[in-house]
Amino acid sequence: MTNWRAGVLAAGILGLPAMAYAQAPKPATGSLTVAYAAEATMLDPAKYAAGVDQYFFGQIFEQLVRPDPNLKRINWLAEKWELKEADGKPYLDIHIRKGVKFHNGDPLTSADFEFSYSRLRDNKVSRWSHLQAAVEKFEVIDDHHFLIRFKEGDGSYIADNLQLWAMPKKYFEKVGDEEFAKNPVGTGPWKFVSRTIKEEIKFEAFDDYWNKEHRPTVKNLTIKVIPEDLTRVAAFKTGAVDWIDAVPPAMVEEFKKMPGVKTQSFVTPNNLYLSMDAIRPNSPFKDVRVRQAVAHAIDVDAIIKSVLRGQGERYVQVGKGSMGYDPELKPYPFDPRKARDLLKQAGFPNGFDTPCYNLTTPREPNVKEVGEAMFAYLSAVGIRCRVQGMEYASWVSFARRDRQGGGEMDGLYSNMWSHGLPGDPGTPWAGHVHTYVPGAGWGIVSFHSDPELDGMLEELKRTMDIDKRQALIMKIARLKHERVAGGLPTYRPVVTFAWRDKVEFKGWPQPGYWRQMQEIGLKQ
Amino acid sequence: MSGFLIRRLLQGVLSIVGASAVIFVISRLSGDPILIMLPNDAPASLIEQTRSSLGLDKPLWMQYFIFASHALSGDFGSSYRWQMPAITLVLDRLPATIQLAVVALGFSVLLAVPFGVLSAVHRGSWLDTLGKGFAMLGQAMPGFWVGLLLILVFSIELGWLPAFGHGSPAHVIMPAIALGWYPVAAQTRIIRSAMLDVLDSDYIRMGRAVGAPDRALIWKYAFRNAAIPLVTMLGVYFAAMLGGAFVVEVIFAWPGVGRTVVEAVFARDFPVVQAGVLLTSILFVTSNILVDLSYGLIDPRIRHDR
Repeated sequence: MTNWRAGVLAAGILGLPAMAYAQAPKPATGSLTVAYAAEATMLDPAKYAAGVDQYFFGQIFEQLVRPDPNLKRINWLAEKWELKEADGKPYLDIHIRKGVKFHNGDPLTSADFEFSYSRLRDNKVSRWSHLQAAVEKFEVIDDHHFLIRFKEGDGSYIADNLQLWAMPKKYFEKVGDEEFAKNPVGTGPWKFVSRTIKEEIKFEAFDDYWNKEHRPTVKNLTIKVIPEDLTRVAAFKTGAVDWIDAVPPAMVEEFKKMPGVKTQSFVTPNNLYLSMDAIRPNSPFKDVRVRQAVAHAIDVDAIIKSVLRGQGERYVQVGKGSMGYDPELKPYPFDPRKARDLLKQAGFPNGFDTPCYNLTTPREPNVKEVGEAMFAYLSAVGIRCRVQGMEYASWVSFARRDRQGGGEMDGLYSNMWSHGLPGDPGTPWAGHVHTYVPGAGWGIVSFHSDPELDGMLEELKRTMDIDKRQALIMKIARLKHERVAGGLPTYRPVVTFAWRDKVEFKGWPQPGYWRQMQEIGLKQ
Repeated sequence: MSGFLIRRLLQGVLSIVGASAVIFVISRLSGDPILIMLPNDAPASLIEQTRSSLGLDKPLWMQYFIFASHALSGDFGSSYRWQMPAITLVLDRLPATIQLAVVALGFSVLLAVPFGVLSAVHRGSWLDTLGKGFAMLGQAMPGFWVGLLLILVFSIELGWLPAFGHGSPAHVIMPAIALGWYPVAAQTRIIRSAMLDVLDSDYIRMGRAVGAPDRALIWKYAFRNAAIPLVTMLGVYFAAMLGGAFVVEVIFAWPGVGRTVVEAVFARDFPVVQAGVLLTSILFVTSNILVDLSYGLIDPRIRHDR
C-alpha cells in the first residue's frame, strides 16, 4: 500500500483526526524576515492565476485536505470525508472541524465552503470555474456537514485536494470584493498585516489558530521579494534575511558547506517533458521507433548532474509519491547506438533534420540550457535539431492546438505541465496525451493520437475511487511509456532553501510548494 | 515666450498620442494574453468569454478608441494579472523610479562636470587621462554587472550598504551608482569639448590678460557657457534612466515602474504596459520642455521672449 493510499484511508475514510490539536501552544514571539524569488499577485484563492500566487495566500487560507511534509494527504479542515454514490452518481460527504475560527473571530461553517464553491464556479470571479463543471449541487446538511454532488465522476476533484478553500462568507459580504483583496481573512496560521507590491508582505501569527501542534512559533513574519538570485543570496549572507528560497543551482554546494546554515532540497511539482509531433502525416515522430530512439538518445541523468547541478529528479511517467507511481517502471537507458539502430529500422539511416523549439525564459532554473543539451544529444544520433528559442509568452501559445493564427508545432518542443504535489497526472495527460478534440478540453497541447489511450484517459477523468484511479494510472503509464506517447518525460525540478541555524523550519508541500510557513520559528 | 510654450506643448501632446498608438499596436502584435492568463486546461468557451469580457475580441481600431477615450479620464483599465487599476499599480511605483533616476542623474552630473572641466583645463595631463578612464569604465561595464559588483564589495565584504530594498537614503546609493555611471563618459565628453571651445574664446583670453583669477574664469564664465549642451541632454538622460532602470530595479529589488512594466510585457498585461509607457512618455516630454525653458536661465542670449 502506498503512502498516499494509506494516508487517505487513515485520515479520510476512517475519519481519524490527522492532527492532535488540543495541546497548549507556546505563545509566538519574535520576528523573522525571509526572502522569496517570485511574487504572488492575488491574495484571493478564488481569483488566483498561477501556482506562484499560493506563495502568499497559502499562508492565510486553508483547504479541506492537504499533503503533509511526507507528501501523505491528510485531512485538514475536513474532519472526515467519504466518496459515496446515490442514483448512480457520486458525491462527497464531508464533515468539517468544529472550533476553527477565521482571523476576524467568525467561526468556520459549511456556509463558508458553499460560498467558496459559488465563487469558484463563477467564471466572472475565477479562472478555474471549469473545475466545478462536474458538480451538480452543493448541499449543506448542518453547520459542519455538507455534500458535494456530481453529475458525473470527476477525478480531478480528488487529485486537487477537494478544490475548496475556506472563505469567510460573512466578512466578505460585509466588506466587498475590493476590500477583501486588500485585507484578506482566512483560517490559516498567518494573519495578513500589510503588503507593498514588489517589496514585501507582512504577517502576524494567528493566536487562535486551530492546529496547536503544527503552527508557527514566531510572532511576526516579513516576506521580502528579491527576484535576482545573487541579490537574494547577498541579502542572506549579510543577515538582512534569515531564510531564502531558490538557492541558485550553482551555489547549492557552497550553501551546504556554509557554517551555521541549513539547507534542504525539495522536489517541485512541475513535470518537464519533450513533446514530439506524432500527428502530421510526414512527421518522422509518427513512428514509435523514432520516438524510442529519442528516448534512448538523451542522457537525462547526465543533464541533471551537469546542467542542473543535481537540482532535478528524474521521473519515468509519474513522480515518486504521486498517485499511480510505479517503482517498477524504469526509464529508457541512455544508448546512442540503439537510438541509431532504431532510426535505421524506421527508415532514417542518415537521420533527419527537424525543428526543435526551446523555452528561453528561465521559468525553471537552467531550462534553456537543458533544452540545448537535449537537442545536442539528439543531433549526435542523427536527429539534427534546428533549434529555435522562444520567450515564455510565445512559448505558452505556440503549443496550443486552439490558438489563433497559423503555424503548428512540427518537430520537438520542450514543454512542462505540473502533476502537482504529491501529484496526479490525470489533468496534464488529458492535455498532452489525449487526442486533440476542438472545444472539448481534450489534448489542448497534444501532438499525439492513440484511441486506446484516449479511452483510458476518459475513464480516468471520471474515476474518483482512489484504488481504481491508482490502478488505471499505472496501466496508462506503462502503455504511454512503451509507446513514448504524448512526449518523453524528463525531470521534475528540485528547489533548495537555506536558513540560519537560529531558525526552525519544516517544509510543508502545499500550498506554495514548500514555501508554506506552517512550522517556522526561532530557536529558544 | 507664450507662443513658444504653446508650440512645445502641442508638439508634446502629439508625441504622447503617437507613443500611445505605437505601444497599443505593438503590445497587441506580441500575441494573445488570454492563454497566459488562463490555465492550460481552460475550455474554449471560457477563453472566448474572457477575451470578450476584456474587449479583446473587438477590432483593433475600436479597442484603441475605447482605450484612448478612457485614458483621457485617467482610466487605463484593470491589470489582467493584478486585477487592480493599472494606473494605480504604475503610479504607486513611480516615486521610487523618479527618486532613483534623479539621484542617478545627480551622481552622473556630479562626476561628469569636474571630470569634463578638469580634462579640458589640464588637457593631455594625467588628470585628463584619469578622468576619461574612469568615465569610460562606467560605459564599458553594464549596469547589472556594476550592480552585482557593488553588492559584493559594499554589502557582502564591507557591510556598509544594504544589498536590496528601498526606504532609507542608504538604499538608493548603489542602485544610483549602477544606473548613473553609464552616462558619465558621454557627459564628460560633452563638457570637455564644450569647455575646450569656450576656453579658446576671446573673452576668456581677455579675462586672463587682465589677470582675472583662474577659478572665476573657469567656473563662473567658461563653465556657465559650456554647460548648455549638457543641460540640453539632461532631459534625454533623465528619460533614458526612467526607461532603462529596469535592470537595476531587478538587481536591487527596487520597487519601480521599469520592473513593473517589463514584467507586464512578458505577461502581456496590456493595461499596465500602456499606462507605464504613456506615463514615461509624459515624463519624457515634460522634462524636455522644462529643459528647453531652462536655457534662458543659463544663457540670456537665448531667452524665448526675444
